[in-house]
Amino acid sequence: MQSPKTEDEKLQMFFDGELAPEEEAAVRRSLEGSPEGTAQLREWEQLREAMKSVSADWAGEIDSEALFARIESEITAPAVPVTQPKQEQPALRVVPGGRERRVWGGVATGFAAAAAIFLAVMAWPGEPTPVPVARGSEVLEVDFGSNTGTIFEVEGGAGESLAVVWIDDEEVGLP
Amino acid sequence: MRLIRHLVVIAVLFGGLVAAEASAQGSSLVKSDRAASTSSVPAEVLVVLAKEEPGEIDPQLKKLTALRRPPFNSFRSMKILSRPKLKLTPGKDALVALPNGRRVKLTLLRVMPDGRYKVKAAINRPDKSDYLPLLQVVASAGDPFFVAGQTYQGGTLVVGVIVDPKKTAQ
Repeated sequence: MQSPKTEDEKLQMFFDGELAPEEEAAVRRSLEGSPEGTAQLREWEQLREAMKSVSADWAGEIDSEALFARIESEITAPAVPVTQPKQEQPALRVVPGGRERRVWGGVATGFAAAAAIFLAVMAWPGEPTPVPVARGSEVLEVDFGSNTGTIFEVEGGAGESLAVVWIDDEEVGLP
Repeated sequence: MRLIRHLVVIAVLFGGLVAAEASAQGSSLVKSDRAASTSSVPAEVLVVLAKEEPGEIDPQLKKLTALRRPPFNSFRSMKILSRPKLKLTPGKDALVALPNGRRVKLTLLRVMPDGRYKVKAAINRPDKSDYLPLLQVVASAGDPFFVAGQTYQGGTLVVGVIVDPKKTAQ
């Protein structure tokens, strides 16, 4: 069972001359009261004319007769046997050092794998190592100048070691 | 061919791991850069006049139990003369005047990877370097270090420096 044609399809088929005579007559009647359909047909007609014109121009530029004559002559020409020079098959030979290359390849692979494993272990984000919490204070360097002094460690309230620098001196007056 | 394929795979793996390692090192560099680029840290300088004569121990000093231990346990009275607060900026000197005319010069050198502060201190009269030319300490946040021994008004000055006093080490 054929599906009913849409108006667009009918119009397209009318334009292409593919409708049955009774259908063509019906479309022609409907176009009389349809300015849109008439405009559409005119547009298609202009398009067809433009395409015809372009293809005629292209066809004029190509000497189709000469082209076909050349193709035909190529096809009908006697085939010339092509003799290829016999190529000598390279003789298989034992490559010296092949075994050594395999060994070195294996060694290189081993080294690369070892390096990869080492870096994997180094870069693996394992559990964060607890950073020991440093407490208190400590003297790294001291210069007593012309005085004598002593460095003490005093225990703080939480058991931390606190640095005490004791310097003996004479009382100085206000400047 | 199998060997070449293996090597290519391993090279790719190797490259990826090198990149991961570089990234890890980069993050640790960022951490050390963070330490180097610390803007400023609060600090407090405690200037105490301690005497062997019996007297009062300033109530504010009772929390500092270190001042009741040797070599401070010979003092029977302690009075806070001043307690200036300041900001320590890396590489920048901060000055605190002492009642005897000397000045405490404090410089934050850096924040150590363990979070402690490396501080340079000097105590001298202006344009002099005859008392304490150089002292370098590391101190954790809230834990003081002391410089004592300057005689003043029949007593001894005890200078305590607390970096980041609001923080207390865990």
